Amino acid sequence: MAQQTRKKRKGGNSSLIFSNKMYVFLIPALAMFLVFWIYPVLQLFYYSITNFNGINYNFDFVGLKNYQKVLSNGTLTNSLKNTMIYAVFTVTLSNILGMAVAMALNTKIRLKGLFRTCAYFPALFSAIVVGFIWSYVYMPGSGMIANLLSNIGMNGAAFNPLGNFRTALYAIAIVEVWKGFGTTMIIYLAGLQTVDESILEAGQIDGCTEWQLISKIKLPLISSTVTINVILSVIAGLKAFDYSFIMTNGGPGKSTKTLMFQVYETAFTDLKMGRASAFSVMAFAFIIVITVLMLLYLNKREVEL
Amino acid sequence: MRKMLTALALAGVMTLAASQTVMAYNHEAIENAGEITITMMVSGTAYENDFETEKLPALIKEKWPNVTFEVTKLPDDNYYTSLKTKLASGECPDMILTQPMYAGQNSCYALAEAGYLVSLNDLDVVQGRQDLASVTYEGDIVTSTSGVSILGCYYNKDLFAQAGIESEPQSWDEFLEDCQKLQDAGIQPIVMGDKDQYVLQFGLYQLAANEIYPKNPEFDVQLRTGETKFTDEGTWDKVLEMYKTLYDNKYIDASMSLGYGASQAITDFIDGKAAMTFDGSFNAAALTAEGAAGAFERGYFPIPGTEGVYTATCLSAGYSIYSGSKYIDECKEILDYWQNGSSPVWHAHLDTGRIIATYGEGADTAPNYELFKPFIDLLNEGKGYYWCNQAWPAGTETEMEVLFSEMVGGQGTTVEDITEGMQEKFEDLMED
Repeated sequence: MAQQTRKKRKGGNSSLIFSNKMYVFLIPALAMFLVFWIYPVLQLFYYSITNFNGINYNFDFVGLKNYQKVLSNGTLTNSLKNTMIYAVFTVTLSNILGMAVAMALNTKIRLKGLFRTCAYFPALFSAIVVGFIWSYVYMPGSGMIANLLSNIGMNGAAFNPLGNFRTALYAIAIVEVWKGFGTTMIIYLAGLQTVDESILEAGQIDGCTEWQLISKIKLPLISSTVTINVILSVIAGLKAFDYSFIMTNGGPGKSTKTLMFQVYETAFTDLKMGRASAFSVMAFAFIIVITVLMLLYLNKREVEL
Repeated sequence: MRKMLTALALAGVMTLAASQTVMAYNHEAIENAGEITITMMVSGTAYENDFETEKLPALIKEKWPNVTFEVTKLPDDNYYTSLKTKLASGECPDMILTQPMYAGQNSCYALAEAGYLVSLNDLDVVQGRQDLASVTYEGDIVTSTSGVSILGCYYNKDLFAQAGIESEPQSWDEFLEDCQKLQDAGIQPIVMGDKDQYVLQFGLYQLAANEIYPKNPEFDVQLRTGETKFTDEGTWDKVLEMYKTLYDNKYIDASMSLGYGASQAITDFIDGKAAMTFDGSFNAAALTAEGAAGAFERGYFPIPGTEGVYTATCLSAGYSIYSGSKYIDECKEILDYWQNGSSPVWHAHLDTGRIIATYGEGADTAPNYELFKPFIDLLNEGKGYYWCNQAWPAGTETEMEVLFSEMVGGQGTTVEDITEGMQEKFEDLMED
């Protein structure tokens, strides 16, 4: 008894599986996390109340002026609108396409492995490469699509999706879907493979149509997979930057300027690092709120299903 | 007492005189330094047998075997990011590429204001030069540059002849007539890659050099004091209206150009699909390359204005020395050797065809010199003005490009909206 008390006083937790000494091993990872994640985020808040220009470290504190400017100069409204359209479009399309292809490739067809590889293939390229290739696909006059249209007797010369402010955002969103739906498909495929065949057979015996099998059995059983995919696509959509930067540089006009693009432009073109930090803080809060709301809603739906 | 006063007065005069005299740096710093490594960072794309990354280090080694000259060349965006990070961490290379006045994120004025650049007033190669105002910050020359950069209009002489145009236009009206002749002959007059919105500057700055600065060379200085505004009648509204005319008449086809990148427009020009394109001397190699249309003859002229021809020609980017460098005098020795107008490094640099030197051996035999000569002549006649964005806080030109792109893209933006937007942005950027 006396020995036990001594042990408790000395080391507290004397578990052989995870004793207190094991916490020492957390220090390196924790240090990395604090230095490379928490500290930069705190720095962001700090810079957001200064007029730092990214070059001169003799800056002043300006209070909430940067936040007021971001809210009043119209850049937030425009970029938020573009980001929302982009996110809704990519989330919807990549999930519908990803699920449809996953269902098709989950059946017993020949060359299934090859088709799965082909569908996932675009995800292997970097955004720079994809953006560059698609710039030529969309190029007016002599681009791939314009040529195809001309070859079938249509007016290929008039095809200029990136040069039109009405279509440019959708055109780059399609590229995002093309590159990203493979990843969505793989996650759906993994989910579909967990659905027990016997349940489907039971459904078929009960006279379910193919659509009923999907809507009444498969979808409810993979609802957690749907949640993961939708949340991942929403986060990716709200952080959209690559294709605006590579393919349109935010244009024509301001039609493809997303939240992240606007942050980049404010920081590195206008040299307003302080204001860009304020913009980032607001974008960060916005993305967190949207993601949490979506997660709560989808989790509730999962339970209902 | 009288003697003492005289001595004091003499000492004062001598101190004053000394402050007016440029102190020479140690011209034998490298020779006495032992084995050293000097670093330089520039922007651009490194080609095979590249001047900065390959030839320059080799030539420096040849001259000073004890010096290892290490050059890092990064694409523009990477360069800017890398430069800021290195400056912030105090690990900046000894020499860096900087741009005149307020141009770009490596603008020499912004870097000098932050105390990052060394005064180059004691360099041998800058003595007596009167053309360095745009790289001089508060009396200190902070960038050493030996060349100029030009904006102009490249044209296809064969297509001009095909449309019956015999000479280069000398007025804005003549220029519009030539565009019409080309269009009537079924030739696309001008191709631009407006998807890369910065190319809008290539035409607009030339028109500003014609329409704004000859009437008021202090226009941009006065913008900062509030004496002038972008919204002033007969200034930027006129320039924008003139450039818009080219789109209204489809001399530049916005339905195509807004979907074209800068490199795609260059390809179209060298393939003979359009008669003209507005671009800079920095792209001469690409624009004089052989394309699908073969080796047709090319010309280069400044877009003429309503009252004569002026050129948008400015000092090109140059090299600065980081104030935290351990080898300041050694870097100065290298810069003096490089830019003295006769050294092997000077000739190797000139042979790249990427600089248009205003002095030194071989300046008038450099590649493409004939193409650029009319511009240099105009400059020597005092008819040259800097590129507008060099005098503006970074970001003003972006607003101009965005709004102009909206206007020609049919989004209902007007010339007045653009000038107001530019003024608003300018004031916003100047605020801090």
